[in-house]
Parts: sequence; C-alpha cells; structure tokens
Amino acid sequence: MNAQPVIVRPASARPAPPAAVAAPERSGCPVAHAPASAAPDAVLPEAATHHGYAPFAMTNPFPSYAALRENEPVMFNAEIGYFVVSRYDDVKAVFDNWQVFSSENAQAPVRARGAAATKIMNDGGFTAYSGLSARIPPEHTRMRAIVQKEFTPRRYKKLEPTIRENTARLLRQMLAHPDARGDFLTDVAVDIPTITILGLLGVGPEMVSTYKKWSDSRAAMTWGDLSDEEQIPHAHNLVDYWTECLRLVSNAHEQLAAGTNGDNLVFDLVQAQSTGSEISDHEIASVCYSLLFAGHETTTTLISNTIRELLAHPAQWQQLIDDPSGIPAAIDETLRFSPSIVGWRRKALVDTQIGGVAIAAGSNILLLMGSANRDPGTFEQPETFDINRVNARNHLSFGFGIHYCLGNMLAKMQDKIVVEETLKAAPGLRLIDAAAIVFADNLSFRAPTSVPVTWGDQK
Amino acid sequence: MPSVTYISASGSETAVAGFAGDSVMETAVRNGVPGIVAECGGSLSCATCHVFVCADSDFAAMLELEDDMLDGTAIDREANSRLSCQLKLGDADIRVTTPETQV
Ligand code: HEM
Ligand code: FES
Repeated sequence: MNAQPVIVRPASARPAPPAAVAAPERSGCPVAHAPASAAPDAVLPEAATHHGYAPFAMTNPFPSYAALRENEPVMFNAEIGYFVVSRYDDVKAVFDNWQVFSSENAQAPVRARGAAATKIMNDGGFTAYSGLSARIPPEHTRMRAIVQKEFTPRRYKKLEPTIRENTARLLRQMLAHPDARGDFLTDVAVDIPTITILGLLGVGPEMVSTYKKWSDSRAAMTWGDLSDEEQIPHAHNLVDYWTECLRLVSNAHEQLAAGTNGDNLVFDLVQAQSTGSEISDHEIASVCYSLLFAGHETTTTLISNTIRELLAHPAQWQQLIDDPSGIPAAIDETLRFSPSIVGWRRKALVDTQIGGVAIAAGSNILLLMGSANRDPGTFEQPETFDINRVNARNHLSFGFGIHYCLGNMLAKMQDKIVVEETLKAAPGLRLIDAAAIVFADNLSFRAPTSVPVTWGDQK
Repeated sequence: MPSVTYISASGSETAVAGFAGDSVMETAVRNGVPGIVAECGGSLSCATCHVFVCADSDFAAMLELEDDMLDGTAIDREANSRLSCQLKLGDADIRVTTPETQV
C-alpha cells in the first residue's frame, strides 16, 4: 500500500485549497462536474458545517460520520474536492467495482515537487512507482498474483518466534522504567512492525533508524506541505531509499547466481522471475519501496489502538487476561472501531452513481471506512467497543476486492503477539489519561500521537 | 441450476440455488448463508471462506496459493478443506460443511 494516501493537513492551520489535493495529472477538474450546489463558492455557509465533517480532524471524527450517514451519505466536499461516501453498503460497492472506480489516484501527491527536488530526484535516477495499490488491471492482476505468494500464512508464520522475542524484549525494557511510566507507542508499537518489514526485505535490525528516516521523508514528500527548500533533504533521502531498493534486487540476483538462498521476500521474487514469473526488476524494487511505508505505519497504529481501547475498557482487558482466546476477536473489533486508515481514495472512470447520487467521470471519491464500520445498518450498537461482537470482522478497514490489503494477516499476527505478551508481562497496565490522547491531523491515517501508560501502584 | 447445500458445524442445512460459474463463496454471501465471512471479497487474501467439501465433489484441484492460504484458517485445515471463493459451481449439486468459526 505504498499508496498510502493521501493528504496530510498543511502544517499551517489554513484549509487546503481544493487545487492542492486534486490529482495533478488530470486536466478535467472533477469539481466542474459536481452538482451546481456543490461548487465551492455557492456553498460557503453550508461548507462551513458539512454536517460537522472536517476532513483532516482525526481526534474524534465519529459524530460527524454519523451525521453524514444520516443526512448526506454521498456528499461533495469542496475543501478537498472529493465526494465523501459514508454508508457501509456504498463504500463496499465502490471498493468492489474496480472497473468503474479505479485506484489510480491513491497516491496523488499533495504538493507538486519543487524544481530543486525534482532535479535531485531525476539526477539520482528516482523512478519509483506504486508497488500495487495505485496500479490497475491487467498490470495489477499480474503483479499481485506473484507478490501475493509472499504473503501467505505459510511464509509469515516463520516470522512469529522473532516477533515474539522482540516484543518480550521491548516490554522488559519499558517495564524497567524507574518511574513506572511509558509510552506504548514509542516503547513497543513502533519497533515491532519495522523490524518485521526489514526482515522481509532481508535487512538487519541495525538499519531500523535509517529506514525510519527514509520512511518519514517518504511521508513528508508525498503527503506533507513542504516548501521547495524543505523538500531538498527529503529528496536526497528518497533517492537513497530507491537506490537501496535497486541494490536489494541486484543483491538478490547475485545470491541467486552464487547459489545462496536469500530467504527473504526480495530473493523469492527474483527467484520467481528467474523461473518464469512475469515481474521486472523495476517492479520488484517498486514493491520493496512501497512495503517500507505500507508495512509498518498502519500496524504500529493497530497495535497502539488495540492496547488503548482494551485499557480504556478494563472489563474487556480482564476478560482477555482470563481467556486469551478472545484476542483475535478483540483485534477485529479494534479494526472496526478504530481503524488505522479511515478513508481511502478512488476515481470514477465513467459517469456513474453512488447511492443514487450522480458521479461524473473523473470525480475523486473518498471512501470513509471509519464511518462504514459504524453503520447501524450493519453493526448493532455501532458506537460501542465490544470484543464479543459477532460480526466485527465485516469491517472494511483493509478495503475490499482486488486491492484488499495483502498484509492483513501479517498485521493481525503481529498485533496478536503483542497483546498476548503484554497481557502476560503487564496485566496491571493502565492508561494514564485516556481522554488526553489525540490523533494527528490527516485525511486517511488516524494514528494516536502517544499512548501513555503506567503499571505502578494504584493511587 | 445447481443447488448448493451448506451444512453448519452444528449440522443444520441451508440449501440455495446457485449459478454455474459463480463461486461457492459468492453464492453463500448473496443468499445470506451464515458461516462464510469472505472478508476480502474473493481475492484469496483472508482465508475466511473456509469450507470442508464432500469427498465426491469434483472441483478443480487447488493451486499452490490456495494451499498456502489454507494454513491460515481459524479452524485448522483438514484433508478436504478448501477456500470457497476458489470453488466454481458447475451443473452438479454440491454440499459443503462450514467450520465452527472463520475468525
Ligand atoms: C493494520 C494494518 C494495515 C491496514 C489497516 C492496512 C490497510 C490497507 C488498505 C485500506 C489497503 C487498500 C485496500 C483497497 O484499496 O481495497 C491496503 C492495501 C495494501 N496493503 Fe495494507 N494495511 C495494513 C498493513 C499492511 C502490511 C503489514 C502490509 C505488508 C507487509 C500491507 C501491504 C499492503 C499492500 C501491498 C497493499 C496493496 C494491495 C493491492 O493494491 O493489491 N498492509 N492496506
Ligand atoms: S474470500 Fe478471502 S480468501 Fe476467499
């Protein structure tokens, strides 16, 4: 999911002008095709309320989601230039209809690249493209079939012992803090998925900080609001990371030629290529490039959110201490209730409709999975976090259909290990101040900025 | 039209009419048959459409990817386990058993 999307709120508080988020390669602006009442100028008073929907505000978007579902389940939002879709059936139907709704805009950058950064990247041979999520059939179909073989339980179950060891070690380190306070996000949740992804790429944990630096640059360059000047160091980092991806691929070729088994994803893809799978070196490098971001940010968020929600509901935390067999269901309920990605993008290829609302060809669409997951038409008492819910797994947090998250099982496995180990090592864990936890501004990603915990004596 | 019978883990049967060419998973989901979740919508990425097929059914043999994915089912796989999004209906009636849970 290198396509992780999307639009980070500009650093300044000013609202993003629609032009800032329209896919730059498009000549026909979808806004022009929107119903007259949705033209930016015509709706200012209404746009100010938008049923309370503020596209980048993530701390508590859920009341506005409920208002949208109720009053305007397919709403054009002039601030971002997207049709915002909030009901479960509509979101699922759009995901399912890839012939009409393409994912090609899933990576449209927020800000055009400045001249200096462009030169650095051109000179550096930067030609990275989407791993999978913004590619479309038939190319997507061909590549996904090959890459998918790397994401089966048979392969990732081999990773389990290492993940468990790392989790136990990080928990020990956290629990050794003399003041009995920690931040579950930075103490545990960040490192686990990062080490896992590097393992898949065949890179050692000593590279964690370098890769994190590259990943941060990736996020800043794609979804940030940087001045031309600020882009320069990040441009260098992206060139370095892309060069590293190409090196990983040529390194795998050398291993193959020398008859050594690389035992990682890059090696396997190169080996598949050598036995006839249709995937180029450039495509393999693009997959590596995308996994860096797709693989860890969202999983870090899932781990943080699972611990956070369970600790905020002590009876359910206790239920899992008494009976850990409920952990997978608790993870699905976390994904439903507090998904790492609340909105994902599509583009209409032809004139069509969603939920009875006319959508012109070229329109940009934002699917609110965070809202679909709380649609009372699908989930009873949707605003309640309940790990005993029977149908939590119908959530749409990993998308649906041909782009359905390839990493879903890997993400859940890592979360399960962390919850299991934490229940054992720190059953008395508590949130320091649940109400004080906030989520960073973003259009798609909903991630807490910290998860302060304590395990000291109850005061 | 082939008839598809889904037998739950506790033994209750639901029979629905299917269409040749559709998958056993699609047929269940379209008719609201419980016991098949199909979280990924048939893209062979979730293993929540696990079923046990009867010995005499003649579905096409499974590909390697389905085999690998079956290692991730909630209820452990058995010799007659399949992922129902990969099972295409022909003209013959079929019967499958759904596992106790897909989660
Ligand atoms: C909680 C963690 C995660 C969440 C919430 C998440 C969410 C998503 C979503 C919403 C999509 C787009 C689906 C669609 O368009 O229908 C996606 C695609 C994807 N994800 Fe994830 N993801 C997570 C973890 C991972 C991990 C750990 C990996 C890899 C190691 C990964 C790899 C991918 C890839 C490769 C795609 C693109 C698939 C395609 O376009 O065919 N994800 N993910
Ligand atoms: S529906 Fe997901 S694997 Fe069959």
